[in-house]
Amino acid sequence: MASLRSMELEINGAQYALTIEPRVTLLDALRENLGLTGTKKGCDQGQCGACTVHVDGERVLACLTLAVQAEGRSIRTIEGLASKDDTLDAVQQAFIEEDAFQCGYCTPGQIMSAVACIREGHAGSDAEIREFMAGNLCRCGAYNGIVAAVRKAAQRIQGAAA
Amino acid sequence: MNDFDYLRATALDEASTLAKTPGTMFLAGGTTLIDLAKCGVERPGTLVDITRLPDLSAVTVDEAGATIGALATMSRVAVDAAVTERYPAVSEALLLAASAQLRNMATIGGNLMQRTRCAYFRDPAGYPACNKRMPGSGCSALENVTRDHAILGTSDQCIALYPGDLSVALTALGATVRTTSREIPIARFFVEPGDRPDRETVLERGEIVTAVHVPASAAAANSTYLKVRDRQSYEFAAASAAVGLELEEDGRTIRDIRVALGGVATVPWRAEAVEAALRGRRLGETTIREASRAAVEGARSWYANGYKIELACRVVARAIMEVGGIK
Amino acid sequence: MSLTDSPAKYGSVAGSETASGPLGRAALRGDGSLKVRGAATYALEQPVEGVLHCVLVQSTIGAGRVAAIDRSAAEAAPGVRLVLDAGNSLTLAPMPDFFGNTPPGDSYVPFAREISFNGELIAAVVADTLEQARAAAALLEVTYEEARSVPTFSDPRAGEGRAVDAMTKEWGEPDAAFAEAPVRIEATYETPREYNLPIEPHGLIVHFEADDRLTIYEPTQWVDGTARNYAGWFGLSFDAVRIVSPFIGGGFGSKAQGLPHSAAAAIAAKMLGRPVKLAVTRPQTFTAYGGRPATRQTLRLGAAADGRLLALDHDAASETSVTGTFTETLGIVTKMMYAVPNLSSRQNVVPVNTVLPGPFRAPGKNPSAFAFECAVDELAVELGMDPVDLRRVNEPDHDFETGKPWSSRRLLKCYDVAGEAFGWAGRNPAPRSMREGRQLIGWGMAVGTHPVYAAPGEATVRLLANGSVEVSSSAIDMGTGTYTILAQTAADVLGVPVEKVTVRLGDSRLGRAPVAGGSQLANLMTAAVHKTALAARDELVTLGLTDPNSPLRDQANTLTVADGRIGASRGGAISVGELLAATGRDHLEVTRDTLPEADRTPEERQRMFSTLAGRGALPDLPVSRHSFCAHFIEVRVDEDFGTIRVSRVVTAFDAGRLYNPKLAESQFKGGIVMGIGMALLEEGVTDPRNGRILSSNLADYRIATNADVPEITTISVGEPDYDATPLGGKAVGELSIVGVAPAIANAVYHATGRRVRSLPIKLDDLL
Ligand SMILES: Cc1cc2nc3c(=O)[nH]c(=O)nc-3n(C[C@H](O)[C@H](O)[C@H](O)COP(=O)(O)OP(=O)(O)OC[C@H]3O[C@@H](n4cnc5c(N)ncnc54)[C@H](O)[C@@H]3O)c2cc1C
Ligand code: SF4
Ligand code: FES
Ligand code: FES
Repeated sequence: MASLRSMELEINGAQYALTIEPRVTLLDALRENLGLTGTKKGCDQGQCGACTVHVDGERVLACLTLAVQAEGRSIRTIEGLASKDDTLDAVQQAFIEEDAFQCGYCTPGQIMSAVACIREGHAGSDAEIREFMAGNLCRCGAYNGIVAAVRKAAQRIQGAAA
Repeated sequence: MNDFDYLRATALDEASTLAKTPGTMFLAGGTTLIDLAKCGVERPGTLVDITRLPDLSAVTVDEAGATIGALATMSRVAVDAAVTERYPAVSEALLLAASAQLRNMATIGGNLMQRTRCAYFRDPAGYPACNKRMPGSGCSALENVTRDHAILGTSDQCIALYPGDLSVALTALGATVRTTSREIPIARFFVEPGDRPDRETVLERGEIVTAVHVPASAAAANSTYLKVRDRQSYEFAAASAAVGLELEEDGRTIRDIRVALGGVATVPWRAEAVEAALRGRRLGETTIREASRAAVEGARSWYANGYKIELACRVVARAIMEVGGIK
Repeated sequence: MSLTDSPAKYGSVAGSETASGPLGRAALRGDGSLKVRGAATYALEQPVEGVLHCVLVQSTIGAGRVAAIDRSAAEAAPGVRLVLDAGNSLTLAPMPDFFGNTPPGDSYVPFAREISFNGELIAAVVADTLEQARAAAALLEVTYEEARSVPTFSDPRAGEGRAVDAMTKEWGEPDAAFAEAPVRIEATYETPREYNLPIEPHGLIVHFEADDRLTIYEPTQWVDGTARNYAGWFGLSFDAVRIVSPFIGGGFGSKAQGLPHSAAAAIAAKMLGRPVKLAVTRPQTFTAYGGRPATRQTLRLGAAADGRLLALDHDAASETSVTGTFTETLGIVTKMMYAVPNLSSRQNVVPVNTVLPGPFRAPGKNPSAFAFECAVDELAVELGMDPVDLRRVNEPDHDFETGKPWSSRRLLKCYDVAGEAFGWAGRNPAPRSMREGRQLIGWGMAVGTHPVYAAPGEATVRLLANGSVEVSSSAIDMGTGTYTILAQTAADVLGVPVEKVTVRLGDSRLGRAPVAGGSQLANLMTAAVHKTALAARDELVTLGLTDPNSPLRDQANTLTVADGRIGASRGGAISVGELLAATGRDHLEVTRDTLPEADRTPEERQRMFSTLAGRGALPDLPVSRHSFCAHFIEVRVDEDFGTIRVSRVVTAFDAGRLYNPKLAESQFKGGIVMGIGMALLEEGVTDPRNGRILSSNLADYRIATNADVPEITTISVGEPDYDATPLGGKAVGELSIVGVAPAIANAVYHATGRRVRSLPIKLDDLL
């Protein structure tokens, strides 16, 4: 049997120490070991996007990442998106304004994906947003709102940068 | 998942040596391996994480061709300016695959090595019989629901589809796979199931894919990847085609053409018969559609996948028309 | 154009007596801030100390019996606390399900020995960590005695099934009328098994605080009904069970009762004396509850040359399980949609080796409308008539099924408004008449409808000294907007801003509420909160006028409550807080329900909310109450590949008064998105040999992605309908999915000339 392994993960700028088996996924480590339950599990098979987090600034699926693979990387989850003074990120704000969710379960994944989508420069048109957000399923069917929110947030971010 | 050890390799030969032990597997992006470990298909004893090996993620494009490091991620390669310009089929095949998140994780080496999505293969508890998982145990797909199974390159042991997109483009463009010990033309890298469906490539135990080399050509620079599926995105191909085309000076006569198919065969499928039928011919919709029928020579359908025969021909034809500028 | 900015004429709350107040406004979702921060706590995220992890094991045969389960390897695996199967499980009392099916015998064990479907629960493993439990579950050695299964109703051995008497309906002389009708069509339509697949999989945490007291954190659309399940299983009183379900990651009908896995987790917790967490895996969810059963409907329509329907014959069948009856009520739209003077409708259920099917968004209505609305389109083609004109000709002035007048029916308005916004008038009726490059373009339309159901509800309203208001009920919000509209309702009555109202939901310790299903909850809970808030306002006024310590005592005949203040219309007002403080209180609390007045024992009251009995308690109304909508849809079909993309959707809705048009629009669009998936993608694929679900994951069971959905235009033509519900709303949540699939199928026909009568319409259907 493989032994437990001690590791440190950097999540939302803080260091977390944990001792777990190597087979524990980043998703289960977040939800079951670290109490960071904002990241959701919709399939555990890479097929829905609910578990999207950022590793070294890029959107990835926490359900197909072993926690140990993320050692030494910088992880960001939905809990770390709002600023220190609790001001919502532009994408979070736009999601509320555009009612880009219903049950809210896919939402953290959608938002983490959207933040990256904008940063990658893939929010140039509605068609592009739809394609580059296609890896995040929403059974409530909030897709129109999601596209509107990403478009709006992208404009605000560009406006702020200009 | 079964319990396994995890090691992080720091040098290529170290990784190679570690992986000579049976039960040891390389872990790259993990999007195939961790998924299959959860399904109970892969039961590794030890995972050797190769993602921190140095020097394996570069993408260099020069006059001779593109060299893509095995650890470069799909998304990196897809948006590489030189790849997009000189090897559009490669970039398109990558962008049409999986999702943005998966492409950020998945590596080029891992992508070649991805395994079939055959529903029976992925469900060992429900279907103990699978020659690919366990040679000699039988095949649960034969005589059953097979809408997503192969029509080309099958054997009476296994009809599972090779699901990847990138390798189809690489096959059309005549790429070479570089490993720790040799260079393998992509046409010889993948092996058809025959009576050993568990063997999918010629890689030996411990052998690591280090890079993929795509030779430069005019056909590569004028290439495309066309992928057809019911869902607009985030789905494997029902049928796909990678086509590269070079015309004579007259702008109408085909000097060089490369065609490969995806979503229909047990391995990425080069359609040499289509190429031969068109080389030297003039571009034209009728000519192309007729020649494209050769893409499915020897195809055999199983229960529910007969539609792939017709679809494959049409996808090939349309991909050729697209690079040929026929609207 | 969208609902929220549709022309004022079709605005959401025109004519409503509370149009000036918060109810009816497009307020932002009250729980939005929590959800976008990842701070909304779903069931499996509740912090419970010391939980053990439970993993399910399901059968891999479709019929037969479990001969033996060797638990030893699993029991010896690291971290394992308990391996449960039929042999060592605690025995519970049998409880009727939603539909009144009670497991046979006088006891109930959720682990099957006799297997009636592939994927049936047979065992469970509890371990310290999730990884340990998963790995040990794979070590169970199960030996089966396999019997031949009949996996689907397409299997000839399934036979014809049995008739559902309640579904037999006949009026006029349908056979004679059909025989004489100058224009006739006949066709058979099929829909596959479809699964609810809320993106939050099922699961729960069970915590026995004492032998006879437990708390369950479980996503449920029906807190009270679920509490009744557990109380019954364990022989406890209703009050001994607490269900906590503040957020639900979608349900669509699948999360309304305790299921076998729920019982398994509870048994494990009880036997181990430790809290147990159980997450059903995504593949397991395909058989942990029933989705929509496969359906088959043969329709015969006879019409006059001018399009008037003369006869309708409807012969339907749906799958059910071999152990229980679930009826997907396929005649439900057929019978009431148009003016049909001669009709015959009947339905069989065909038992097969499947999990008992269950309700899934617009059960019955959805597949019913698919068949009927396609058939009407086929009739229009046969008649050479425009499909909208054909529907107009057959617009009924009353409900032909019940003989009652409509409470309201603004479907003609839907045709006008949506047809115009879509540009329907420019349609060339000939198939294959529109194209762009290699894309064939088709326009199709169809209607949807949903009945207005009613049941009683209960709410508590507390007015606090700081001027804020608390509303509470065990009702739930699964994204439907309950938090938001109940705050709006209370704010409306009590004259406070919405931000001052806190709503607490989803806890069986709060006031009673019936199931969030049948699109009834919004109407009945706004009614309950409205009534309670009025009562609270009255009590406050009485307090102000009569309490010896009230500064407002005897100042006027009555007092007005507004903006957190109370006072005589002329003269000084004081804050609600001041009044409460002066009269020696820190709050005022009122609880009311909307049960008809009657003396009831506590047990009876409970039954009204925790079973479907509540519906029966309400008086039968003299009107027929339905919502309506008309979908106009454009598709593009690649002429080589047969791939279909929906490129435009315009839908007009008559759903009465919308309590919050912004959230209603989200519901409407969500239903349309699901309808797109149903039409083109979703299919439960079954192994014909053993009934195993081959598409039991989110890659193979394809739901629509963002890229499959165009910008959708929704328009409301609804007006408050106080004959339908106390506050004028009609059914919203399930309405919009009804009619989408036929509109798409009709558009595909228009694009290609191919009539596909079996869903989903895949590329291979059009090659
Ligand atoms: C939901 C989903 C949808 C997908 N859709 C598509 C799609 O549409 N098109 C498509 O093409 N793909 C698709 N994929 C597959 C995906 O592209 C592959 O999983 C991915 O490319 C594998 O790369 P990886 O780095 O994650 O490999 P890993 O999972 O890390 O490894 C895969 C295998 O390759 C071996 N390996 C990895 N690197 C090397 C190396 N350098 N040398 C030798 N052996 C190596 C590993 O040992 C393992 O056996 C999808 C995957 C998922 C989960
Ligand atoms: S087709 Fe191949 S992979 Fe699929 S069950 Fe048969 S042997 Fe296994
Ligand atoms: S939970 Fe990771 S993709 Fe679904
Ligand atoms: S909001 Fe419910 S799944 Fe997206």
